[in-house]
Amino acid sequence: MTTLVVAEAVAIGLLGLLVAGLLRSHADILRRLHQLGAGDDDRRSPADVRFGLQPGVPAPRDGLKGQSPGGHDIAGQTPAGDAVALAVVGIAQNTLVAFLSSGCSTCADFWESFGGSGPTLPFGTQLVVVTKGTDHESESRLRQLAPSAVPVVMSSAVWAAYDVPVAPYFVLVDGPSGQVRGERAATSWAQVAHLWQQAAADGRLAERRTTGTGDDGFRAARADAELLTAGITPGHPSLYPSSLPEPPKQGFQSADRSDRDRQRALLAVAMPVAIAAGIRSTWSP
Amino acid sequence: MRISAHGMAADLPGGWDARIYRRPPERPAAATHPVLHAGNFALPAERGDYGSGAVELMSAAHVLVVLREFGAEAVDRPLFAPRGRPSPVPYAAFRPDGLQRAIQGQAGAQFFFTENGRPFCLYVVLGSYVNRSGLAPVAAGVVDRLQIEPVTAGPAGGP
Repeated sequence: MTTLVVAEAVAIGLLGLLVAGLLRSHADILRRLHQLGAGDDDRRSPADVRFGLQPGVPAPRDGLKGQSPGGHDIAGQTPAGDAVALAVVGIAQNTLVAFLSSGCSTCADFWESFGGSGPTLPFGTQLVVVTKGTDHESESRLRQLAPSAVPVVMSSAVWAAYDVPVAPYFVLVDGPSGQVRGERAATSWAQVAHLWQQAAADGRLAERRTTGTGDDGFRAARADAELLTAGITPGHPSLYPSSLPEPPKQGFQSADRSDRDRQRALLAVAMPVAIAAGIRSTWSP
Repeated sequence: MRISAHGMAADLPGGWDARIYRRPPERPAAATHPVLHAGNFALPAERGDYGSGAVELMSAAHVLVVLREFGAEAVDRPLFAPRGRPSPVPYAAFRPDGLQRAIQGQAGAQFFFTENGRPFCLYVVLGSYVNRSGLAPVAAGVVDRLQIEPVTAGPAGGP
């Protein structure tokens, strides 16, 4: 009995040492955390907390704060020294503004693709190329690059108004509302086409939200945009096939192989039985 | 929205397209003169000096204003004797047979004058003859805000 009591006392003493060690360790951890500043936020008011962007990261536009930024009419000088003004806001058609430079290598593909009759655009959309003014651009180089079918406007003020961060950069402005429906840097025309795909999708969602209906127009616009992205333009041969694929045949031809095998086996058994029955009925007195 | 070039300037209301241009000479030392086009619709890239290519796109609510300068030798001609542009553009001057290119439903008016020593032809097209009482003041508002700088010693063939 005495031995048991002594053993129990020793065990209790060891457990007590263990608990004391754990408490000391916990106190050390709390002290370290306090030294690192943990828990100070609990004593701050929410107004004291400051959020910011990493240095070099551009600040978000108003459009990212819940409201689409507005477009701006475009006015400036042409590479030939003439003057041009283009209405963008409050008109029936949409405007795709391409901000290009004569010097950037990525822009070269766009300058080339805008030549001839110009790129294929969604119905009711005009394309305008805007470069910076003569203080930043070479007029002689732009005269060589400027396409004949697409207006080219030199204006640093327009670049500033649209807050263009880089070239090439594209902004899609909705004419009737004057709001920017999409903007992005792009290195290929397929990426640019994504702008009006996105705009069509956003417009469809907005219409659903406001009216709960109205899908056909945006569905058609999206279909057009996706076909254009795939290189299928109005009049494309694939839209007018010379012959249509044959429809699937009915009956046996539509059955699968096992069905056909079962039907043949059934016929193989049934036909002789039917013939024998017919002979017997014919010859029986 | 304001544009200016070749000694002309225009203050335009919202929704208006405009160009002030001078065609390159067809032969060396040939004279070309500035032309202004302004319309409350999208002006096409290819246009004639009197708006051909654009007038075909006009609806009944549209207006096209053309201001075309002539060579300095025209100043002494009787055609350009009136001093200054018409202000306001007279509503009664618009007629279907006043069009350079006859298009059904449209009406046009043409005025020759000299301003600041420069001879001009002002040509205005209304998209609707029937609605000329509504469209003529719109055109007059733009014409009144055109600015013509005095003739100066400029490059050959223009101000």
